[in-house]
This record gives sequence, C-alpha cells and structure tokens, in this order.
Amino acid sequence: MKKFKIKTNLVSGVIMGVAALLLIILLPSQVRVPAFDSGAPSPRIIPGICLAIMLVSSIALIIQSLVLKQEKIVEFDWAKEKPAILLILGMCVYIGLMLCIGYVLASLIVFPLALFYVGERKPGPYIVVLVSAFAIFLLFKNVFNISLPALGLLGGII
Amino acid sequence: MSDFALISQAIPQVFTVYNMLLIFGGLILGMVIGCVPGLSVTLGIILMLPLTYTFDDPASAIILLLAVYVGGMYGGSISAITLNTPGTNSAIATTFDGYPLAKKGKVKKALDTSLFASVFGGLFSAVLLLLCASLITKLVANFTSVEYFSLGIMGISLIAGVSGSSLPKSLISGMIGLLMACIGMDAVTGVTRFSFGSATLKYGIDMLPAMIALIALTQVVQKLRDFKVAGGKLDDARKIDKQGITKKEMVSILPACLRSSTIASVLGAMPGVGGGVAQFLCYNEVRRTSKHPEEFGKGCLEGIAAAESSNNAVVGSAMIPLLTLGIPGDGVTALLLGAFVLHGIQPGPTMFTKQGVMAYTIIIGCLVANVLLAPLGLGMTRLVAKIVQVRYTYLAPVIIMFCFAGAFAATGNTKELIICAGILIFSYILTVLDIDNTPLMLGMILEDIMEQNFVTASMSYDRNYSIFITRPISAVILIITVVLLVSMIRVNRRVAKLNEQQEAQMAAEHAKMENA
Repeated sequence: MKKFKIKTNLVSGVIMGVAALLLIILLPSQVRVPAFDSGAPSPRIIPGICLAIMLVSSIALIIQSLVLKQEKIVEFDWAKEKPAILLILGMCVYIGLMLCIGYVLASLIVFPLALFYVGERKPGPYIVVLVSAFAIFLLFKNVFNISLPALGLLGGII
Repeated sequence: MSDFALISQAIPQVFTVYNMLLIFGGLILGMVIGCVPGLSVTLGIILMLPLTYTFDDPASAIILLLAVYVGGMYGGSISAITLNTPGTNSAIATTFDGYPLAKKGKVKKALDTSLFASVFGGLFSAVLLLLCASLITKLVANFTSVEYFSLGIMGISLIAGVSGSSLPKSLISGMIGLLMACIGMDAVTGVTRFSFGSATLKYGIDMLPAMIALIALTQVVQKLRDFKVAGGKLDDARKIDKQGITKKEMVSILPACLRSSTIASVLGAMPGVGGGVAQFLCYNEVRRTSKHPEEFGKGCLEGIAAAESSNNAVVGSAMIPLLTLGIPGDGVTALLLGAFVLHGIQPGPTMFTKQGVMAYTIIIGCLVANVLLAPLGLGMTRLVAKIVQVRYTYLAPVIIMFCFAGAFAATGNTKELIICAGILIFSYILTVLDIDNTPLMLGMILEDIMEQNFVTASMSYDRNYSIFITRPISAVILIITVVLLVSMIRVNRRVAKLNEQQEAQMAAEHAKMENA
C-alpha cells in the first residue's frame, strides 16, 4: 500500500469513460426538455456534445494504453500523499466548523492543528493565524461589507 | 468616437492617485507571489479578485489584476536566479543562465538583466496591444454569434491542445469544465441541469469559488505537503551583491530583447500559447542566432534577456485575443476573462465600440504597469528576494483563510464553501490522474459565452446547425483552429523535449557538483 504505480492513461480512461457513460444515461432525467417549444435549441445539446467528446477521449486513452502501449505512469507514494489528503480533509472539517461556529473560531481551531501537523513548532505562524483570523474577518465586514459566518458573539466577531 | 479621442479620455482615468496606488500595490504583490516558488501569478490574481468586488470602476479592478500579472512575471525570475527554482512556469528558461551567473557571484547583474528585459518585453507588447487592438476589432466587427461560437471552440480546443502532454486528457478536462458550468438553471429554457435534486447545485457553480479551489487551494495543499515531506527544510537564498548591469551590457542585450519580444508577442497573440511555451522558443531562437551560442547555459546575459523579455512580452500580447475577440491566450488570461465577466465587462469587438474608454483605460494601465516595473524592480528586488526565505507556514494559513473568505464573498452564501471543498477534492483526484485542470477552468469560463452564442445563432438560423460550417468566416475559424491545434501540439512536444533535455543536463550538473 505504501507505493503503487498508476497507469494514468488507462485509469483516467476507465474512470472518465464510466462517468461519461453514466451521465449520458442520466441525461434525460437530469436535463428535462421544456414543456413548450420556445424556438431555442434543446438544453441537452451542449452537455450531450461534451459527454460524447469525453467518452470518445476516454476510449482514446484506453486504446493508447492497451493497444498502442503508450502510458504515463505516476507513482503514488502514500507517505508523500498522506499529508495532502489529510490537509484536504482538514479543509473540509474547517468548512464544516465554519458553518457551525463561525469563521474566526473555526480558523483558530483548524489552522493551529494543521500547523502542528506539518511540523511547525515556532510560535510565529501561530500568532499570524490568530491575528489574521480576526483581521480578515474585520476586513471583509468593515471594508467590503461582507459578513463572514459568525455566531454573533463578541459584537458579531465570533 | 475616434481611437484618439478614446485614448485621450482614458489617460486621465489611469493617472488617478487611486489607480496609481493600485498599480504599485499590484506590482509589489505580483513580485512577491511570483518569486515564492509554488505560488503563481494565477494565485495572486485569484486572491485579489474578491477584493475587487467593491471597486466602483471595473477598469480599476482589471488594472490591478494586470499589475499583479506583470509583477508576477518578473517576480518569477527572482527565485529562478537566486534559488535555481522558477517562481512561475514562465521563468523556467531564466534558470538556464540566471542561476549560473548567480553562482559566479553576479546575482545583481542577473537580476538587473532580468528586470531590464522584463520591462523591455512588457513595454514592447503593451505598445503592440495599444496599436493593434482597435485595428483587429474593426476587422472582426462583422462577426455574428455564429463566429463567436466558433471562436469559443477555438479558445477551448487550443488551450486543451497545449496545456498538457496528452490531448485526450486535456479534452476531458475541458469538457468537465463545460459540464460543470452547465450545472444549475439554464438561462434560456429555465430547465435545471445536473442538479441531482440538490439545493446546493440548483443555482449552479459560481466561477470564483471554483477557480479558488482549482488553483489556489490546490497549490497551497501541494506546497504544504512538500513542506511536511521535506521536514520544513528551506533553500538558502543567495546574498545579492552590488554590481549591476552596465550601459554597455544593456546595449549588447538589446537585439536579444527585441528578437525575443517580437517572437513572444506573435506567439502570445495566438490563443493557446502562454509564457511557458514562448520562453523556450525565444531562448532557442536567440541562442541559434547569437554570436556566442557556446556561452548559453553558463550565465549568458543574452540568455536571461531572451527568457525574461519573452515571458513579459506575452502579458500584453495575450491580451490582444482577449480584448479583441473575447478568447483567452493562456491560463492567466482565462482567469482575467473570468474577472471581466464577474465585473460585467464583455470583452470582444463590441468592447471597443460600447466600452471604448474602458478598453483603452485597461490597455494604458497595462502600459503604465510595465513602465513602473522598472523603478519598483530596482528599489524592491532586494527586499522581495528575502521573502523567498519566509517560512511557508506563515503564508499558507493566511492564503487559505483569504481563499475561503473570498469564495464566500462571491455570493454571500455558505453553499459556495461546500462547492469549494467538493471541487478541491475533485481537483486532487485529477492531479493524481495526471489531468491538468487549466482546460477545466477555461471550459467553465467559456461555457457561458459559447452557449449564449450557440443559442442565439441557432434561433437566428432556425436551428440550422450546419451554419457553423457553411458561413465562410466561421468555417475559416474552425479550419484555423484545427491547423493551430495540430501545430501547437507539435510545438508543445518540441518544448517538452527541450525541457527534458535541459532538466537532464541540470541534474547531471548537480550530480557532478555533489560528487565534487
């Protein structure tokens, strides 16, 4: 599991091909034709053409890989990619928290944890997080008139 | 109104204190972002985009973004010279001679050469833009929605063709972008497309959160990952000496700057070619015609001049197809097209008739940004070069916080944050599958323009879809698209080959140095 090679032409061909095929099947239910004819072309045309091109390109990738033996192999190193995946998950948690407890509190919880995870032990970046969370919130609220998610505490900051 | 009258109205609009401050700020930000390896010009533009929402004048917003672009192109050379790590893709060729010259202890000379060439290239193309834009729009003034749709096809297919090593993968990416833009309510028929019953998808995917997730957040995640994997180790920036470029040396590199700027301007004006491609072609051409080709790769000033004037020349010339035809020249101009749309500006031939003053304000703003780059570069380079040494953990949280705040600001709805997270995960999967997300972004931006013109053309010609081939200008555009696509794929392969050779050469040199 630590390292494995991905035949990107084959894998992307299969994944994108299946996705295109599924969407083509779902097209009639996902894009309904309007009840009356306004003279405009069907709303299915552009998505239909895109899906067809996607399917053809996917087949081309599979042919490239299996028949022409042209392959771009990417090595997936779990040790290297684990931090990226965890950071993305961290961002998803950040968004979840932001919706529940607001922008400032979510920032003050998630970023120190993320910094600690990537190995940062100096106080500087933690202080920057603390200051930036409040500064960005106030910048958007007072300068751009956009209120970021907040619980409504401490004068609306948190 | 004549072009001269429009220009004379535009000049006072550019030279306001407000706009000059924006240009200065944009240039500095661009230089900072461009010089930090891993941060790109696109990231700088995306970070600034939400901040421009509150601007009263859309032209000021675009001028700011252009200043970031100009500054970023030069900034990329700073880390290329001091660290042998190009800050942006467009500065790869700068490492070929910039770093060897820096190794000889002539960092200031290399940086000054880069600045001189950047300003030369930038000014050259900005003047070209000023002279050509209106002429081109007059040529294409009779275009109808049929031709615009064909131009949209041209834009997306060319970017798909040149952005990655695999055409099918780029096409898939572009089509995903178009499909993502289709999500939500269709403006003409009112039909909901691909919402899967979800309220979050019902009103579609806004462009800004998508661009933030696709470019900015993806880059930050990759950079933080590298920080973690490397254990927080950073490269050491070199000390900058005081011996700059002499007047004699400046004169000696002028032919290289001129040749490189001319080639890059022609290439940049072709939709689909960015600074990344232009720099290699220009570097090779200048080396081929140089009196001392043997000095290239060993710290030759001509080499630095060729690379740097080419990537800055692309800035102005890539604006030509964007402003005149409404199709972007590369990934950054695709983003600028998004910015135009977000600010309610529709670039294309009508821009010079309906919003002529604004068009010229933007062009003159681009010219002024290039002029101001010279004093700013001379005064700030030393300071900006120190930013390369700032630990990434200081920057990353601030960038991420800005990104999410910016994504939320797009509509003020929390659904944008959820969409942002979804696209970030998807973008990571694409990266693992070696699928470039530039065509995806372009597809998202161009879909609206393409579909709008497709619907108008279809309704005007009673759903006669053959009109796109039977109308002569449209047919010519589609033929040119195919020809350019084929030739660009060839050029791209050649550039990739040159790049591989150069990387192998650099790796061999590194190994030799380590052994020594």
